[in-house]
Amino acid sequence: MSTTLTNIQSRAALPASLIVAATEIGGAILLGAFLLAESTPLVVALLAVMGALFAALQLRPQIEEVIVAAFHDARGLATVLAVAIVLIYPFFLGGNTYALHLLIVSLLYSVLALALNFQLGSANIPNFATGATYGIGAYTSALLAIHFGWTFWATLPAAAIVATVFGFLLGIPSMRTRDSYLALVTIAFGIVIHQMLNNLSWTGGPNGLVGIPAPSLLGHSFMRPIELFGFRLPSQANFYYLSAALLGLAILSAKRLHESRVGLAWNAIRADELAAKCQGINVVWYKILAFGVDAFLAAFAGTIYAFYISYISPDNFTFLVSVTIMTMVIVGGMDNTLGVILGAFLLTMLPEKLRVFSDYRLLFVSVVVILFLILRPKGLFPQRQRHYGGH
Amino acid sequence: MESLILQHLLNWLVLGSIYALVALGFSLLFGLLNVIHFSHGDVSMIAPFVALGSLQAVFGITGGSMGILPILTVLAIAILVTGLIGIGADKLVISRFRRSPAMMALVATVALGTVIRELIRGFYPQGSNPKAFPAIAQGFLELGPLRLPAQPVLIVGTTALVVALMYGLMQKTPIGTRIRAVAEDAATARLMGITPSRIFAFTFFLASAAGALGALFFASHAGVVRFDFGVQLGLIGFSAAVIGGLGSMTGAILGALAIAGIESIVQANIADGASYRLVFAFLLVILMLCLRPSGLLGKPVFEKV
Repeated sequence: MSTTLTNIQSRAALPASLIVAATEIGGAILLGAFLLAESTPLVVALLAVMGALFAALQLRPQIEEVIVAAFHDARGLATVLAVAIVLIYPFFLGGNTYALHLLIVSLLYSVLALALNFQLGSANIPNFATGATYGIGAYTSALLAIHFGWTFWATLPAAAIVATVFGFLLGIPSMRTRDSYLALVTIAFGIVIHQMLNNLSWTGGPNGLVGIPAPSLLGHSFMRPIELFGFRLPSQANFYYLSAALLGLAILSAKRLHESRVGLAWNAIRADELAAKCQGINVVWYKILAFGVDAFLAAFAGTIYAFYISYISPDNFTFLVSVTIMTMVIVGGMDNTLGVILGAFLLTMLPEKLRVFSDYRLLFVSVVVILFLILRPKGLFPQRQRHYGGH
Repeated sequence: MESLILQHLLNWLVLGSIYALVALGFSLLFGLLNVIHFSHGDVSMIAPFVALGSLQAVFGITGGSMGILPILTVLAIAILVTGLIGIGADKLVISRFRRSPAMMALVATVALGTVIRELIRGFYPQGSNPKAFPAIAQGFLELGPLRLPAQPVLIVGTTALVVALMYGLMQKTPIGTRIRAVAEDAATARLMGITPSRIFAFTFFLASAAGALGALFFASHAGVVRFDFGVQLGLIGFSAAVIGGLGSMTGAILGALAIAGIESIVQANIADGASYRLVFAFLLVILMLCLRPSGLLGKPVFEKV
């Protein structure tokens, strides 16, 4: 392993920092161009560029190795640069509120996909209820804010706790059921939650909840635009930074969990549940824990979504939403953080950017998903081999 | 009072029949391929649309008369076409995931379901609107002192016949033996001179045709059909197959009757029950799987080391 790594590094003519900077800035520019592209030919051309990039990766896997090695070598620079890009990004979108909205939704779906990835990717537990825990988070915070006047910051942990309790409850059947049977339990759970939200009077029934107050921080209401150094960002920028911070938290927890005993235990369960059990891993506890972590993060995303849109209805949290999140994880690449985020971005933005196909957007996206699963079955960025021990 | 009980009983049996026909497809395919064909509900829902389309054509030939023969022709066309589409779905998409992890096939078939729904919505004339679906049979049957509505009796009777035929086919005919052989061990079946791909095609046809019949009954019972009805029908059919034990035909029927039963009971006894029937049906699913993790008649999974 180490010989191949040095081999690749010696072949890479460019210094690591340059590769990192080029990749991150190039990615940001591509994303920005895609977000701002209005005309159909441009959207199609940009999609073609992305397609070509992935074709290149498919044909020459070494490119990916070189980039991964570079990111590994210049970790500090990669992090600082990424944070800087995220911070200054809204300024480049030039007050385009639609682009910002798309970004926010993509960020929230990235969090949801990462949440699901703890189970589906790390431990190979099917879960079709991420949409439901997302909904529980959104409804808990919205109800607390509307009826009890709680602030956004107070509802955030409350929603997470409530959703986590539900997550643990959902995890309990996983003690006994597996595979397709467990998949059905989670589907059933999702439908029960959706139907309850749709029928109970205190959740507003099919009309949902309206008038969720906007959060504020240090006297700055999130309804108001940000004015900074003579620049003026639309009010959506508030939620952009909030969602970006949440995604940052999700990435950090994903990384820390992956490197901890918990992540190792999940991977062991994925590899072979029986062998994991024989090694003394408390399989039941780690499975339930995966459901809890998923619900916790999904509730955060739900809370931000509720306060951002200020209106939620049961239709935001259906079975098909859960399936979309699952598709993001699988298309992006299971257990690969970057892949999962990319999958979430692509699948959120693709339908929106394909307005030309108007009525046939969903059809087109589904066909793309199927083709994708056939042509690149391991996802955009496949699962990477674990690094054990020192680096 | 008596007639009310009878009505609930009939309603239960009709729902149970519809769900059973869909659940049988899930069970057959899972038993054979170990794959969950999540677009099965959507494939089945194509049938009512084909029937509506061919109804016009058949009426054009017969001059608008509603005889037994035109209706049977329409139903036969719908079932045949849907069965062939089932084979097409396998050849085009599902067969490519035979060696992939189960989750991949699952997501692919969910996407395939969306494709089917969107195709109907986008390309069927006024596909996004609900469409009125005529009753297959009208009027009442006089059975001694009992006066029964004809359509429910027809649905339940036909389903019973179809189920019996399918049992016979699986247990007594050469093709049934081959299907069971491939389900048991595809590699060994190949050594015995059985071509698995042909068996797969036949099973997909059988499953989709049974589902088509279920969907036709569903549309006729509800009096209406819409492009997205397949999602719920598929979910309920899948649930019935799972709580019965995937791969077991008897289990699928028991599961369907159980789900239809709880729906009917809730609808009859709880105020506002109609809107809560799915809640109770799926709570039953969760409870059932907690108590019997492999379904009612499913074989418990023993892990081998």
